[in-house]
Amino acid sequence: MGITCEEVWRHISDYVDDELDPKQRTALEEHFAICRQCAAVLEGTCNVIRLYRDERTLAPPKGFHNRLHERLDQRLRQGSEEGIRLSRRAVLAWALTAAAAVPLGFALFSAKRIIQPRLGHQSPSGSPNSPAVTGLVAVSQDAEDKLFHIPSCPYLHGKPKFLPIEEAIREGYSPCPICIGKHKPEKKG
Amino acid sequence: MADWDPSGSVLAQRRTPVCATTVAAEKDSRNDRIRANEEVLISRILEGKKDLFLDLIRPYQRTVYATLISMLGSKEDAEDVTQDVLLKALARLRQFRRESTFGTWLIQIAINEARMRKRKLRHGIMFSLTKGTDDDRAYVPKDFADWREIPSESLERSEIREALAKALTLLEEHYRLAFILRDVNELSITETAHILGITRGAVKTRLRRARLMLRDILSPGLQQGGQVGLAFKEVRKPWE
Repeated sequence: MGITCEEVWRHISDYVDDELDPKQRTALEEHFAICRQCAAVLEGTCNVIRLYRDERTLAPPKGFHNRLHERLDQRLRQGSEEGIRLSRRAVLAWALTAAAAVPLGFALFSAKRIIQPRLGHQSPSGSPNSPAVTGLVAVSQDAEDKLFHIPSCPYLHGKPKFLPIEEAIREGYSPCPICIGKHKPEKKG
Repeated sequence: MADWDPSGSVLAQRRTPVCATTVAAEKDSRNDRIRANEEVLISRILEGKKDLFLDLIRPYQRTVYATLISMLGSKEDAEDVTQDVLLKALARLRQFRRESTFGTWLIQIAINEARMRKRKLRHGIMFSLTKGTDDDRAYVPKDFADWREIPSESLERSEIREALAKALTLLEEHYRLAFILRDVNELSITETAHILGITRGAVKTRLRRARLMLRDILSPGLQQGGQVGLAFKEVRKPWE
């Protein structure tokens, strides 16, 4: 016994997609052979699919490709310019850092060479390997920080007063953490 | 009554799936070649040859546009979003994991973009395009006019193309999208199901209704009743 028209309509789309098993497929084909209406439905369905598959259906409007390509080109150019800008910025930043680092390094190096001999000169009794501060140190007569410094310390503000380190310690001054830091006052005795 | 010769028309010419434009083996082979070519292009683009991107997307411009116009309705919006989608694809090309084809990946981006655009247009109201009742009842065709083979030259006529575009807008969105993915973009049922996040069965149900509804909308037998119908068809009703 054949299948009904309703069953055909239920499976017609799967028939088109070749999603039916051979038995169902044969049943539908037998039905199409005797039912002109269902054959018309099949034909119409196939026409619909053929029409919509055609490249001209739902095709982008005229000028679409050119406009798209222009926008993409623009984006690609922007991207490469952005890349160039970024790399230029990176080079500039690196150069500025290097330019700032050279004099800073030189200043630190010079300061170390200047300070060490001076400290050594002020403390002839100190061991050459000892970083201890001996001899005269400077205190500010204006600042209230109660710190003593080496005479060249940039953090020595106001009018300086020079005095022996022992005296500075006795008067309650502490070593400046910047210029003396590691150079602990040498303890006598 | 017009002559009815079942051995002469529809069935006699068809021993393979009725609407197949190419046989499956040929299609697989063609897809493999396309995929291999795309792999090469993608690698070179990622190495810095960005101008090759235009070659990569060329075959997909129509499918992305067709998907978007079916979802957004407006040609201007569809064009605008198509451009956005392709630019996004370029920006995200490194994220393409090759779990699907490049074309499928593009369509997924397009659908997401279209949803975002629609949400904006609807002032933040959220809705899902893929939700909707999948009516499993048999669709009853409303017209049984016999279509003869449609000459492809007819598509040179803008009114025919307009009629096809308009007919699509008359479908509910979830039917429309399944139809576009499967029958316009020629994705497989499995790919369509993957993109829409539904089962293969649900895709088949939506396709069935979409195809039959479009057939009715475009049917030459209904064109006189204010439908979109394709006016160039000669109507031959089986009962005449």
